[in-house]
Amino acid sequence: MNDSITWTNPLRDPQDLRLPRIAGPCSLVIFGVTGDLAQKKLLPAVYDLANRGLLPPSFGLTGFARRDWSNEQFIEFVKKAVQEHCRTPFRESTWRNLAEGIRFVQGTFDDPAAFERLSETVQELDRDRGTRGNHAFYMSVPPRAFPTVSKQLSASGLSRSSEGAWRRVIIEKPFGHDLESAKELDRVVSEVFDPSSVFRIDHYIGKETVQNLLALRFANSMYEPIWNANYVDHVQITMAEDIGIGGRAGYYDGIGAARDVIQNHLLQLMALTAMEEPVSFSAADLTAEKTKVLSAVRLPKDLSAHTARGQYAAGWQGSHEVAGYLDEKGIDPSSTTETYAAIRLDVDTRRWAGVPFYLRTGKRLGKRVTEIAVVFKRAPHLPFESTAVRELGNNSIVIRVQPDEGVTMRFGAKVPGGSAFEVRDVSMDFSYGRSFTESSPEAYERLILDVLLGDPPLFPTTEEVNLSWKILDPIEQYWATLGQPQPYRSGTWGPAEADEMLANDGRHWRMP
Amino acid sequence: MIIDMPNTRTRDISHKIDELHEERGEAAIGRVLTLLIETDAEELEDALEVANAASREHPCRVIAVVPDHNPDLKACEDDSNLNAQVRFGADAGAGEIIILYPRNGLIEHPDTLVMPLLVADTPIVAWWPTNPPANPAQDPLGAMAGSRITDAMRSNNPEATVERLRRHWSPEDVDLSWTRVTVWRAMLASLLDQPPHLPITEVKVSGPADFLPSELLLAWLRLKLGVPVKYEVVEDAEAVTGVYFTREDGVVSLERPHEDHAVISFPGQTPQPISVPIRTLEDCLSEELRRIDLDQVYADVINTGWDLTHA
Repeated sequence: MNDSITWTNPLRDPQDLRLPRIAGPCSLVIFGVTGDLAQKKLLPAVYDLANRGLLPPSFGLTGFARRDWSNEQFIEFVKKAVQEHCRTPFRESTWRNLAEGIRFVQGTFDDPAAFERLSETVQELDRDRGTRGNHAFYMSVPPRAFPTVSKQLSASGLSRSSEGAWRRVIIEKPFGHDLESAKELDRVVSEVFDPSSVFRIDHYIGKETVQNLLALRFANSMYEPIWNANYVDHVQITMAEDIGIGGRAGYYDGIGAARDVIQNHLLQLMALTAMEEPVSFSAADLTAEKTKVLSAVRLPKDLSAHTARGQYAAGWQGSHEVAGYLDEKGIDPSSTTETYAAIRLDVDTRRWAGVPFYLRTGKRLGKRVTEIAVVFKRAPHLPFESTAVRELGNNSIVIRVQPDEGVTMRFGAKVPGGSAFEVRDVSMDFSYGRSFTESSPEAYERLILDVLLGDPPLFPTTEEVNLSWKILDPIEQYWATLGQPQPYRSGTWGPAEADEMLANDGRHWRMP
Repeated sequence: MIIDMPNTRTRDISHKIDELHEERGEAAIGRVLTLLIETDAEELEDALEVANAASREHPCRVIAVVPDHNPDLKACEDDSNLNAQVRFGADAGAGEIIILYPRNGLIEHPDTLVMPLLVADTPIVAWWPTNPPANPAQDPLGAMAGSRITDAMRSNNPEATVERLRRHWSPEDVDLSWTRVTVWRAMLASLLDQPPHLPITEVKVSGPADFLPSELLLAWLRLKLGVPVKYEVVEDAEAVTGVYFTREDGVVSLERPHEDHAVISFPGQTPQPISVPIRTLEDCLSEELRRIDLDQVYADVINTGWDLTHA
């Protein structure tokens, strides 16, 4: 008898928009729980969810790490992380309930005995807490550890769920380092987990950002008519970071900016900006449109003229003196890894014919900002003296992803008064933070809850990941034949090469 | 910053606000709604405090209308019918507060009084913290609002108020007692998500006597489950203390005997504690401001469900 098909909860009503969805009995296992991400984001997010009443009373949280800790020591560690980073007020009663379900398993990824212990811990949670065999595994570990962990999960039987229960796995980007490795990673993970149980997470573009972008494009009537090659001159998508590689030398060297950021974040943002209207906002329909547009991407013929890369040199980042990439701890002084990458892509569709998309990302740039700028063509005729519009640039719509998520429109306005008629660029601004809420949930709260509820996330599917690598691989292969990336002074907007790349097309980078 | 404006005009208040915005380098366009509060002098400060807290999530302009039935005649100028106060910055949450004290004939025209002070082209929400008008939809302020929030439980005579509100109910009306049980409703729905999905034969709710949130919860359960429901009075309780679903395998329950601490019990399983804090007025108002669209479920509960449990 399978009652889950015919049974509907009488207390749930699609019209009841008030009811928050609370996750059913389940537990979360975090691999790499002592890492930065877990401390600053994951553990506080779990607490905030509990505090908002969105976790089940039986919730279990298991940490897996190398450290030789007792359960109590681990609980103390979690408490400290939560108190330092939680968004909602720290309440002793919430904490007590949560702490009841916290377990620690000591071990390394290559130790089958540790996974045996993990398996026992999870079963014990099922028995004592009533998590009913529902478990999510969060891989907060370097990508090279994915295959090992997946195999261990499979060997210890942890990846298999009993009837009516679920097992899910959460993987953070990057998903491989080229098409081949991405396929290999997918093969390993999908051997162990069903594709629908694999949640690929990209917290930079949280669900909120994706939905904001969809709302802007498809809930309004004033953008769609001009969102095409008739009016758009080009699109610039930027993700700039002001930090260097910090303690991530081991991960970053050999990967570089393009693989780290362009392959996932920027190509996803580009797909969302360029795609046609999906028939619905379901994950499947969105993926269909994103896949279409990614498969229509064309690389420039002359990669030397239309791509640029750089490496940050010593300098002053705002008010701090900082070291160059080659002097960072753990970096090979002759490394050719790029910390800045810019590429031009074209989309071979009727909507975007002749409209280049410029994607750039880098570390140690002027400031931290992620934005999509749709830059429009100039008016076909300007009935003014040429001196009057000398200062007038192109109109643009800038979608700010972070920080201060919002939308800016740039257009020309007459400078008031004055003896001569003059038009200059001005900005009109909308900010989500100002208009809606000061205390919106952290992206990770939503991500974790979606996984526990089993909501298909709006994140890249295997096919999108593969298509993205297909776009990037030829560029990486070309770059591999070149020598040292062009150095740029820390705190600037990247190497001269990148400016030339746009100047060749008669354009220039926006200053975000 | 609190600025008193005795014997004033709406035009002067508007100017004052523009001036303050300019001085502080702010703009009023970030306000997502205007919250109209109609209340008396006694309740005013409490209501403003709640509105302030809610404005952190929903930056809004708050306009409180406090009719002055016994004006201090010595302080009144002949050609004015209005005293006002404007609060800004630290005294006004994430927005600004305008308090209007109309007197004489102006008391009868609160709608045209607030008209020039509304934030342009944004939703208007009316909130009566204690005693609502008999017919909110026909009230001058209520009629201009797209969403009307009452709180019968805090009125002088809750029972009579509920009856009046039900008689004149219109789709834009909602009572905060309904908002008070949102968390309970969510928890109960997720209880029933758990297998085995056995039919429920009977429902019991326990809580204080004559407690409107309990009554709404009971009406909702009766409406959705279609089984007999009963209410058990718990002396000295402050809020709903428990909900019990009877099934053939036993009783599934959610109990909150004391503030904050709740316990979930399934037949044959160890009871599990969970923290369910009593909702504050701020929580409730914030929830209402979050979703200012019509609530069909509430409509069904207040009309159909209520009659089923009060037959």
